[in-house]
Amino acid sequence: MKVTIVGAGKLGYKLAELMVMDDIDVTVIDHNQKTLDFVNEHLDVLTVLANGIEINVLKSLGIHRYDLLVATTNSDETNTLICSLAKKLGCKTTIARIRNPDYMEQLDFIKHELGIDYIVNPDLATAQAMEKYLLKNYNFYSDEFVSGKVQMIDFNIEHMKEFVGKKLMELENFQGLLITAISRNGELIIPNGSTELLANDTIYVIGKTTDINNLNNRISKDIINKEVERVMILGGSNIGYYLAQKLAKDNILVTLVEQNKERCKELSEALEDILIIHGDGTDIHLLEEEGISSMDAFVGATGFDEENLLMALMAKQSGVPKTIAKISRENYTKIIDRLGIEVALNPIHITASEILKVIRGGKIVSVSLLLGGDGEVTEIIIGKDLPIVGKSLEELKLPKGIIIGVIVHNGEVIIPNGKTRIHANDRIVVFCLSDNLPTLKMFFKSQKGGILSELWNRAKGTR
Amino acid sequence: MNYGIVLRVLGSILMLEALFMVPSLLISFYTGQVDRFAFLITIIITGITGIILNRRKTPDRHIRPKDGLAIVTIGWVLVSIFGALPLYISGSTSTYIDALFEIVAGFTTTSAIIVSDVESLPLGILFWRSFTNWIGGMGILVFTLAILPALGISGFQLFKAETPGPIAGKFVPRIKDTAKILYGTYITITIIEVVLLMLGGMSLFESIVYTFGTVATGGFSIKNASLGAYNSNYIHFIVGLFMILSGVNFSIYYSLFKGRWKEILRDEEVKLYFVIILLAAIAIGINLYKTSYTSLGLAFKDSFFHVGSVITTTAYYTTNFDLWPAFSKSILLLLMFIGGCAGSTAGGMKIIRILIIFKVIKRDVLKIFHPRAVSPVKLNSRILPSETIARIYSFAGLYLILFALSTILISLEGIDLVSASSAVIASLSNIGLGFGIVGPMKSFSDFSQLSKLFLSLLMLLGRLELFTLVALLAPKNWKREI
Repeated sequence: MKVTIVGAGKLGYKLAELMVMDDIDVTVIDHNQKTLDFVNEHLDVLTVLANGIEINVLKSLGIHRYDLLVATTNSDETNTLICSLAKKLGCKTTIARIRNPDYMEQLDFIKHELGIDYIVNPDLATAQAMEKYLLKNYNFYSDEFVSGKVQMIDFNIEHMKEFVGKKLMELENFQGLLITAISRNGELIIPNGSTELLANDTIYVIGKTTDINNLNNRISKDIINKEVERVMILGGSNIGYYLAQKLAKDNILVTLVEQNKERCKELSEALEDILIIHGDGTDIHLLEEEGISSMDAFVGATGFDEENLLMALMAKQSGVPKTIAKISRENYTKIIDRLGIEVALNPIHITASEILKVIRGGKIVSVSLLLGGDGEVTEIIIGKDLPIVGKSLEELKLPKGIIIGVIVHNGEVIIPNGKTRIHANDRIVVFCLSDNLPTLKMFFKSQKGGILSELWNRAKGTR
Repeated sequence: MNYGIVLRVLGSILMLEALFMVPSLLISFYTGQVDRFAFLITIIITGITGIILNRRKTPDRHIRPKDGLAIVTIGWVLVSIFGALPLYISGSTSTYIDALFEIVAGFTTTSAIIVSDVESLPLGILFWRSFTNWIGGMGILVFTLAILPALGISGFQLFKAETPGPIAGKFVPRIKDTAKILYGTYITITIIEVVLLMLGGMSLFESIVYTFGTVATGGFSIKNASLGAYNSNYIHFIVGLFMILSGVNFSIYYSLFKGRWKEILRDEEVKLYFVIILLAAIAIGINLYKTSYTSLGLAFKDSFFHVGSVITTTAYYTTNFDLWPAFSKSILLLLMFIGGCAGSTAGGMKIIRILIIFKVIKRDVLKIFHPRAVSPVKLNSRILPSETIARIYSFAGLYLILFALSTILISLEGIDLVSASSAVIASLSNIGLGFGIVGPMKSFSDFSQLSKLFLSLLMLLGRLELFTLVALLAPKNWKREI
């Protein structure tokens, strides 16, 4: 597969990185030499120094031989135009990133008229993810598989102090659940029975939805578990705007704090039923005045990762049960788990996952990555012609970085052991470190080139 | 520095080298000459060392720029050290230093010779010498990249450090595929030339050896009189043609294969390369005809062949050009500095750098008259970043400084200035042939052991384009982090 990415910003770079891991031939076009030098030193891709909007550039690349073009320059208009040109020149599929809310109403028209196949909006996608989390009863980030029959949650071990210092096989009351991974000091570890749990580990637990619910209740005993009614959003960026709009529709009381007066006016014009506060969101007095301690949730959605993280921590300190921070850069990925913020969402990862869905094909429910892409969870339907059909897990000899978390056989959820056999049409949920992705593909890809046999379903929280 | 990956890649390189020696081993066993056991022993030693190094565990597979430098530089030194063993063990050279000099000259495609009577050497050794030409021409690491999947993602550092020219670029997304295309092109050109030479009456062995020398722009011969030993215009023409073709950037052949003619015709470097060859050859041809030659045709034949031979830094010769008039020799000396195109197997400063230097001069002259003129330096209608230009200038500066200082050092041998300076430039530009005592039919055997080592270092410096080696030798870099 051949892919062109125009614009090597944060999203473009992340996409290129993920695609190279997926064994895709990537060409990156950017007009900044420095950016391209960086890409060249870190990724095995072809870089082209040019303006992607020039027809000659696309032609000389032979864009008609490409399967996909993703336009991620910082201008919505440029992205639209590039995709449209590429499509007309014969590129099979095009994806444009469009962020301006003004265009959101007319996306279908744009797509249809200009021949763009997919439009991704990182801000909207992030707002949707935030909304999903806020409306759920869980206090922890979770993801659903096999149409809701299987769930995975992750939480810091400090919520279950009795687990600290124990080996996995010694855990009590843990039937029907499986710890697929441990995030320790920013590294993902695939555990086995004799792995010991340490303080400050974040564990990823997978199991039947009912079992996960019980676990959630056990952990949340000490946490007030009530529905979200009041939300404070810090920052009236696009994400803040989309989120406020969505929450208002869900009849939630939203307070939005924004520093820029002009922006406040714009927001108050565009949004109904939202309390918009003009002021410095990092001013704790202001937040207290606006009743931060009575909030059910706090969302840090300014343009600064540091501000979002620190203010989410501050809110946590003031007793807000749910806190979310928007994080755009990778810098903090490895320490966030230890900070005690429930959810840190990265628009880049969310968007990248959405685009990966398109690339992998099939009916994908949700795609996202663990720890900034160090690992992923995949839901696969076992095709008849796969070589692994009829084999037990022992016989498969999967590498250490791949764990089959759940097998759903005839609608029954099984937490497998070495003797469990894989049958055709089973659905399995696999946890996999990104280093092992090619191996995973080898195991579960149909030899004939996959007739629906692979239903890739990457999942889980952008941590 | 990431020692694990450095040692591991070095191990792979040595294992490859052991493999590269197998054809020579087979030849030596077939002919039953004295070099049989030399190859057997070397292959065992090299292979085992390689396997030991390669068994290192490498949790971190990322090759950072510094690691890339270390791998390329140490890699080249190691293959030379091990590659010299057969020559020494078989007694082809009297000392190990001589063997090392000869094999460094092989890998760097310098092909300066120590043994003046090459015809006395066993066939296996002759093949090995020429084969080092061939491998070194396109690059040991480029070959490693083409066949080793493990290096994939971070291989660009290695590629950049080994490929000649100021702007190393891939032409397909994956470094592995780029390396494969390069070697594919290289092998294709090699096969074509072997066939053409055989049609000209050479034996298979001879045509392979001379092809290696030509396409790698190396120049190792198996006759004492180089190509002068073959009295055939056809062979001279084929070798001359392929020398000049091998001095062209190999990515051009990929564009050719892809049918992108426009790109090739627009390429300023290639255009300048052929213009220089044409002008130099015509000037020398007329000069020769006016002075010593009686036939215009012969004058132009000799002038074209030797201009091609010198500018591509191959250094095959059909006649003793040291006897030519000073005008012709001066032009050849100038060509020795220039060298071939970037991304080719040729040495020297590379046409592209000369081109850019002249463009900057032109710009600066314009600036004298119009101080406020905005005129960025462009190459193939693209603006060059000022860092690239600065790098080219410091490269040229370093090249000349090295040349001057080395000439002073070499002249301590008590030889004339022309011999000393041409010995230095012959090494630095990877030509292997100069004037005076290092001219045609002569050899480097009279130099002292120390000078031979020093000249070997110059060859490596020239092949790896100065900065790779200089950066690693700079003591400050070592103090900061090893």
